[in-house]
Amino acid sequence: MAGSDYHCPHCGAELRGDPRKGGSCSRGTPGCPYDRLAYAALRAGHDAIYFGSWRRIDAPPLEIRRAYHGIGRHLDAIGRELAGHDLPAAARDLGQAIEALRAADPREESPDALRLMDNALSYAHRAIDDLLHEKGLPPHAPMDFAEWYDVVEVPFRDEW
Amino acid sequence: MIDLERYPREITLRNGATLVFRPMRRGDVDRLWVFFRQVPPENKMFFRQDVGRREVVQQWADTLDYDVVLPILALEGDRVVGDATLHRQRTGWKQRVGVVRVQIAPDYRHLGLGTAMVRELRHLGEKAALHYLMAEVIEEQAAAVRAFEKMGFVRAAKYENFVNDQKGGLHNLLVLLYPMSSPSNDLRV
Repeated sequence: MAGSDYHCPHCGAELRGDPRKGGSCSRGTPGCPYDRLAYAALRAGHDAIYFGSWRRIDAPPLEIRRAYHGIGRHLDAIGRELAGHDLPAAARDLGQAIEALRAADPREESPDALRLMDNALSYAHRAIDDLLHEKGLPPHAPMDFAEWYDVVEVPFRDEW
Repeated sequence: MIDLERYPREITLRNGATLVFRPMRRGDVDRLWVFFRQVPPENKMFFRQDVGRREVVQQWADTLDYDVVLPILALEGDRVVGDATLHRQRTGWKQRVGVVRVQIAPDYRHLGLGTAMVRELRHLGEKAALHYLMAEVIEEQAAAVRAFEKMGFVRAAKYENFVNDQKGGLHNLLVLLYPMSSPSNDLRV
């Protein structure tokens, strides 16, 4: 497959070049920013939602529904990872994330849906940080990866 | 009894500094005393005991019982840069409530160490099958309040003009709780 396009296993970005050499992002930046980081796929999954366009003030309902399902898949991925660890605090964080996401179902047109989805993502972030802490690593800092995304104005940030 | 086999463990901070977390030992008196002497007076005034006196720290070491007070130290080499304690009661109506306290060296603040130590206490509390962790914080200690809230503690009570500092000034006391038994209970004030 040398020289052909492929997708980054962590962030899903379209990469070009030789995957055995790390390839390069379609925007020309070398490598994937999550490559070789612990829990790379979980970090990338979180950030893809965190910096997603659903958080724009004028986000259409379709984007919000898409993000809602994206958060659900992200929580499933965290759950699969946690299944192999004895981390009750992280499991509790994941439980709170699931609870918030259930309450945020955008089909119900809840005025709090966006805030609840944001809460679910925050709890998910905490569960990822719990996993990183167990490895003795610092928490995941999404803003360190902001340059890789079309960053939107992130609401509620000051509160979390 | 909490399983302490996870110690010593290395923790890397945001700035890349690597610390070791481990329970306090009897031989830690001097390094812990040095740590407390570096705590600024405005923080020291909220301690329950005069930690600037070596004999106070010596007494802690002499009476170490991890089932009652479990002090976790953060060490940079030989130097203590953080101290987090989990206080428990063996019997009585609060035997499922753990009280937590955290103190960070001034030059190690704003690096995520406080949050890491609260995260560690949360893990220990879960392992000890406690129902709640409780932290008492002076309202002005905004960074400490933020660190606890970031880890899921919620403001359960606020006592206005409740505690006094060493100069007689009154301060609001916040009680923060981390529920481990039933997260659906609404504890917010």
